[in-house]
Amino acid sequence: MKKRLLSILLCAALTGILVAGCGAKKNDDTNKEDKTTETKEITVMVPDWAVPSDDMLADFTEDTGIEVVMNVVGWDDIRDKVAIAASGGAAAADVIEVDWSWVGEMNSAGWLEEIEMSDEDKADMPTLETFTIDGKVLAVPYANDYRIAYYNKEHFKAAGIEKAPETWDEVYDALKKIKEAGIVEYPYTMPMNADESATTSMMWMAFSRSGQVFNEDGTLNEEAVVDALEFEKKLVDEGYTDPAIKTASGMDCYRKITAGEASFMVGPTKFVGLSNNKEECSVVGQIEAILLPGKEGTSDKTMPLPEAVGVTKFSKNKEAAKEFVKWYTSADTQKDLFKANSSIPTRNEVLAELIEDGTIENAGAMLDEAKLIKSPFPQGIPAYYSEMSNAIYNNINKMVLGEVSAQEAFDAMNKKVTELTSE
Amino acid sequence: MVHMKKRSEGALGIALLLPIITIMVILVYYPIIKTFSYSMQKMKLTAPQDTGFVGWANYRSVLTSDSFWYSFQNTMFLLAVVVVLTTVFGVCVALMLNVDTKLSGVLMAAAVLPWALPPVVNGIIWRFIFHPGYGFMNKLLIVFGVTDKPIEWMSSRFLLLFVVALVVAWRSIPFSAIVCLSGLRAIPQELYEAAKIDGAGRWTVFRYITAPLVRPFVGIGITAASISAVNIFDEIVALSGYSDLGKNLLIESYLTTFSFLDFGKGSALTYIIMLISAVLGFFYLRSLGKEVEY
Amino acid sequence: MNTKRGKLLYTVVVIVFLIFTVGPFVWAFFVSITPEFEMFKNTMNMFPTEPTWTNYVTLFTDSARQSKILFQGMANSLKAVGLTLLIGIPVALMSAYSLSRFQFRGKRVIKNAILITMVIPVFATVIPLYRIFVAYELLDKMFWLSLVYASSFLPMSIWLMSNYFTTIPVEIEEAARVDGCGRIRTFFAIILPVAYPVVISSALIMFLSAWNQFQIPLILASSFQTKPVSIVTSEFMVKDSIQYGITAAAGLIAIVPPAAAALIFRKYLVSGMTRGSTK
Repeated sequence: MKKRLLSILLCAALTGILVAGCGAKKNDDTNKEDKTTETKEITVMVPDWAVPSDDMLADFTEDTGIEVVMNVVGWDDIRDKVAIAASGGAAAADVIEVDWSWVGEMNSAGWLEEIEMSDEDKADMPTLETFTIDGKVLAVPYANDYRIAYYNKEHFKAAGIEKAPETWDEVYDALKKIKEAGIVEYPYTMPMNADESATTSMMWMAFSRSGQVFNEDGTLNEEAVVDALEFEKKLVDEGYTDPAIKTASGMDCYRKITAGEASFMVGPTKFVGLSNNKEECSVVGQIEAILLPGKEGTSDKTMPLPEAVGVTKFSKNKEAAKEFVKWYTSADTQKDLFKANSSIPTRNEVLAELIEDGTIENAGAMLDEAKLIKSPFPQGIPAYYSEMSNAIYNNINKMVLGEVSAQEAFDAMNKKVTELTSE
Repeated sequence: MVHMKKRSEGALGIALLLPIITIMVILVYYPIIKTFSYSMQKMKLTAPQDTGFVGWANYRSVLTSDSFWYSFQNTMFLLAVVVVLTTVFGVCVALMLNVDTKLSGVLMAAAVLPWALPPVVNGIIWRFIFHPGYGFMNKLLIVFGVTDKPIEWMSSRFLLLFVVALVVAWRSIPFSAIVCLSGLRAIPQELYEAAKIDGAGRWTVFRYITAPLVRPFVGIGITAASISAVNIFDEIVALSGYSDLGKNLLIESYLTTFSFLDFGKGSALTYIIMLISAVLGFFYLRSLGKEVEY
Repeated sequence: MNTKRGKLLYTVVVIVFLIFTVGPFVWAFFVSITPEFEMFKNTMNMFPTEPTWTNYVTLFTDSARQSKILFQGMANSLKAVGLTLLIGIPVALMSAYSLSRFQFRGKRVIKNAILITMVIPVFATVIPLYRIFVAYELLDKMFWLSLVYASSFLPMSIWLMSNYFTTIPVEIEEAARVDGCGRIRTFFAIILPVAYPVVISSALIMFLSAWNQFQIPLILASSFQTKPVSIVTSEFMVKDSIQYGITAAAGLIAIVPPAAAALIFRKYLVSGMTRGSTK
């Protein structure tokens, strides 16, 4: 009896699945119909934080007659998908996310379509330089990110320092005083784990201290890089950083400042907003964004790490895709995008407006710093960037773990970079 | 007549296999042959003009790199630790589940839980537990006075690999335990009763009845664990990213293929991993094929 | 086990087992109610000082985007699992029946060729698979995604089922055949009613394995309508950081269906694998 009951249950379950299955198929069919009736439809593949609101998209469709299908994909995974698709001569989507670090390889691989930009646009968007190779604009930045310094005013005050630090020497002295006064145990934080953020951190360190990272031929500048590495190592060895950050993910270590456990860091622009948000930050009101320190006085440049959208070569709707990119990076959309996702505008004009009207609070040196954006790559982002970065971050990590000296770490990464540049 | 019948029988047998053969040929065998052909080509996506057949060059370049052998060692270390942990604890869990109490239903369900966890969430949970700062494990160890400073789990090669192996074992124990439990349940009660009548002690019963009859099932568990140990990916990425320190062959292959966009060399690496798995798979097939006589 | 010592041992083992299996889930729950700024704080507090339910509130608020994508992801996963079972179970039954009851040339080779595919890593097939999917416009189609799932779980099911079938005495079948039943009818009338435990256990294994598939749907399904929950949980990120709290909360919600299935059908998980012991 029990068995029979079970058989019935099993049959019922199977029928249920059958119904669910058919339902699913029906859905597919209706989708298909939609596709055939619509003439202009484009797909856009971006990470979660770049998705415009439904209202914004509806407005765009109304104005242009172009339907937009959003493919929201994890940031890392976008690159994999684009690569697999492109290797088969297909487009993963018509419009894709292009991170600053991908633009070199995507250009060499021939995956991106050139985009026309007016000179005014170019002048107002300093990060556009990063996405321009051989005079061709390959993607248009929509979210700004550049390195800016943060310090905890209360910690500095408690150690008897009233003035915001302007040079790295002043930073070092402040860290020393804060640690000695026992205000926090580890006053400095910086990504040094073996991941991408350690590479960029070394780069802004060298960039702000020595004004350059690379030589004209794309190899590492020994003086600048060794100096940066030695300074990083000093901060670690003398105990100004939490030992945990050597192996915690780069992003986790930025949180030290919002947790009130670190007093100074150089980090993403986004922390301007985060340090003002009660849910994200336990020391609201204490953190101020200031200009990046340099050797003598504040640094006259900072490194951009923007994200852009580009049109794929294999797209079948290039014109519609370009129209989307134009709309998506327009001044008005940037304002809306800040409201929807707090992505920081790439147009300085819009950024200034948002800061002035108080939409961006606690901005500190944000706008001044934005005007100092410069790409550290003399010839644009190289095609071998990810392989180079892999060599750089692994050697930085070895260095902070105490396995090699700064010079040895440099020699190892330099060997790889030289090999890559000569290929 | 008999002959005829046999032939039509065979035809029906093959006809029943047509769906699976079609699925396997199109979705498994065709792709792996294709991947093999990629592995024989120069196929670096950032150099789209420079492609072509290069024979075994990709394999040679992989096998002569230090990086490959470093990853190979890591893979082997992980394999050994995962297999030992999974087998020992899998058997223990199976023995525990085999005891019939009021609790056994709930315990059974609990045992299966790790199996269903999405890999990303699994990674995050363990990242929190083994966080090098004040992660759960460090808090525990400090509370119990084992250490007074947080342990940096990810800063030395073998400690890191051991943590990875622990996490993977946690995820593979359910399958191993269930296979093993099936083996235990399959032993006919009469055998135990007969042994009791013969006056055999508990140890003798285990030694001469339980152990040999369960062994093939444990074999299946071991091989399944080894295959998943060779294919560890998400756990390493969650715990130590793509760092050199903890990378195994699969990470190496992922980096080569998707980060450095070298599809040719990446495919060669994947093939080497597949061959290693296939050797393990051979033992798998052997243990699957073994008939148990009760 | 009736001795006192045995009982004590059993209790200890059960407690240790529960700590290790359920412990991480409990910990995930604590993570899910910890505010982001407290996440990696250097404190000895085991529990968040200011627990917050915002993550759960967000996930259960119909209008929230995170809620929409999570539950759409769950629905997608259920559909994919349903279709996988719908394809997988009949194919597995046919194949297993053939492999356990029929004699023909090449049977051994076919059987081994099917079983050995269990060792093939996803990376070895995924690039060509994607190309096939592009060429025939199959991307983001639930049915084809499920077919790929099925192809990776079928070997295990076929193996389980054919083992089970071999334990069913051939004599019963022969008796039915003498009565004039055809092979196919015999299968439905005799074999299937006896073999239901293995069908359930195979289905359960397929369910559990399909539920946490990650690499395959990552490449083959990226639209809102097809993306499974395992992918969705990985995408709760803002630029520069994973949102740990909401990811943990979503992950805990996501294991409810497979956990429920495991709880309901747990009995068959073992009996299905045990050849003939439920005769």
